[in-house]
Amino acid sequence: MNIIVCIKQVPDVTEVSWDPETGSLIRKGIPSIINPNDKNAIEAALQLREMNGGEVTVISMGPSQVEEALREALGMGVDRAIQLTAKQFAGSDTWATAYTLGLAMKKIGQYDLIICGKEAIDGMTAQVGPQLAEYLGLPQLAYAMHIEVVDSKVRVKQKLGDLDRLLEAPMPALITVEREAYQPRVAPMDTILEAYGKEIPVWKPDDLNGEVENFGLTGSPTKLRKVYTPKLIKGKIEMLEGGPEDVARKFIGKLKEKYIL
Amino acid sequence: MDFNLSPESKMMVKAAKDFCEKEIGPIIDEIIEKDDYPDDLLLSFAKARMLGLNIPKEYGGVGTTNLNTILITEELGKTGSVCAYPMLMNNSTAETIDYWGSEDVKKEFLPPLCDGSAYASTAFTEPGTGSDPRALTTTAVPDGSDFIVNGTKRYITGGNKKGYGVFYFKDEALKGEKGDVTAFIVDKSSEGYTTSAPWNLMGLEGMNCVDVFLNDVRVPGSSILGERGNGFKILLRWIAGERIQQAAYMVGLGQAALDESVKYLGERVVGGKPMGFMQGFQWMLAEMKGRLEACRYLTYRAACLQDEGNAIDIDSSELKVFVIPAIQEITRMALQIHGSYGYSKEYKVERLFRYAAHAGVVASSSEINKTIAGSALLKSRR
Repeated sequence: MNIIVCIKQVPDVTEVSWDPETGSLIRKGIPSIINPNDKNAIEAALQLREMNGGEVTVISMGPSQVEEALREALGMGVDRAIQLTAKQFAGSDTWATAYTLGLAMKKIGQYDLIICGKEAIDGMTAQVGPQLAEYLGLPQLAYAMHIEVVDSKVRVKQKLGDLDRLLEAPMPALITVEREAYQPRVAPMDTILEAYGKEIPVWKPDDLNGEVENFGLTGSPTKLRKVYTPKLIKGKIEMLEGGPEDVARKFIGKLKEKYIL
Repeated sequence: MDFNLSPESKMMVKAAKDFCEKEIGPIIDEIIEKDDYPDDLLLSFAKARMLGLNIPKEYGGVGTTNLNTILITEELGKTGSVCAYPMLMNNSTAETIDYWGSEDVKKEFLPPLCDGSAYASTAFTEPGTGSDPRALTTTAVPDGSDFIVNGTKRYITGGNKKGYGVFYFKDEALKGEKGDVTAFIVDKSSEGYTTSAPWNLMGLEGMNCVDVFLNDVRVPGSSILGERGNGFKILLRWIAGERIQQAAYMVGLGQAALDESVKYLGERVVGGKPMGFMQGFQWMLAEMKGRLEACRYLTYRAACLQDEGNAIDIDSSELKVFVIPAIQEITRMALQIHGSYGYSKEYKVERLFRYAAHAGVVASSSEINKTIAGSALLKSRR
């Protein structure tokens, strides 16, 4: 069984700065990590390989330092890695990212499952996985808590609030994995050493046979108008005391005082 | 010597940090409370391939450098606990077996030490001796192709855990000769092998350090490590490597003490400002950091010397003479910075301070290392 895992390299900070022109993240000088949720996706793929055999390929689009994330994934035990790096890919929104990844999937050709993390901690759109499934015309099974392969079909236990759903689809299919599922393993030391002996091919637009205007910022239908940090409003906090009815009455009175009611 | 760590070294350190957070952090308190570590801890180390780090792959090891091993050990030291002891003991014992053992010995004993199915021990110390081979009283008497061993070994880490230990005995057949100590690999489940309850040691709760009682234990001659009569030489080489490993662990511990201090000084408020604004504390931090970096690079240097195939007996002694008191002082300063909280078991620095205290007497005392390093200087003048 051949599995492809899509990963994203994200900044390892909670506060980031933005390029006001493009609305893109400024990554310079900020340490990067594999998007935490994507590590769950890698772990899911490794466990499926351990049960069903086959090969796990990890793929990532990003600047040249994305190689670091791919090496880390190899260190966790994936078999091979593919890097998508070119200046034409820069500034991609979720659509352009899914388009580029989709072309790469077509180039890879043979796969049974594509697994993604549910969402990235920087953008938090949770769109790339589903968009990639749409682009490739694959069944999509999102928010997976558990994955198993039975009789050439994939079954996913999905958590939706208080509901658990059991989904089944023919393969190939695309799955997105929840943060709580498949806690990533500690990269074994011998696999880390092997990871640095492996070659990582770098694919560029010419390798993907795509439409140039669909790549990167020019191919992105989402245009960020403005990125800003909301201003915090400072003021005094007044605690209303008493029983529920009394406090409600006082609260209504305060709202009237301020002409809110 | 290149002070820039390779990307794979950095990733190994990252993996070791990840291991500490996932596998060690959640069980530290339980280990201290129960004064025992869980049996599957060694298997967790094996799964992360942290056993047999510098053992060749053909015997089940990872085959990496001493420097990488030291970097991983440093990360484990930041936990300031005995949790890494089973791993450290397996690695140093396996390295000794790999260096001195015959092909058959390596094939038999290295794989279980690398896959976590056996806990290693090293047993030289006895109730009446810690460093003097002439004072050993445990004996090995030939009996056909086997040996019968008798006596008591003291402070044997993991002596009560299943697996193998390198034991040093007076070889009775060599009595009167210059070298009469022979190293044997003893199966800790042998008939006649029993242990005491663990010693209650300051800062080392859960280390499983026991006395071992050997009562007519039969050990096959095929379990002899190296040449007969060469035991003390084997011990000295093992203990030199142990000193570097210990220094790395202590560097990690010192880093943890510094990190805790920086955090505390940034959070504790005095006169409306974080306490770190006071110059006196800034000076303390600067001293701690300077000493720590010196210890770190001396330790890396010693590991690089090992990787280059140099003898490290003198250098590792010099390392111990410098590193151990420096780190002990760093933990003392960390405790002082924390004031009364530093004495509370709720705060990590209390554990770091107690843990650091053992390093001056374990893996040969600081004083004996001064003698080794100092006398070497005088010998070099002759």
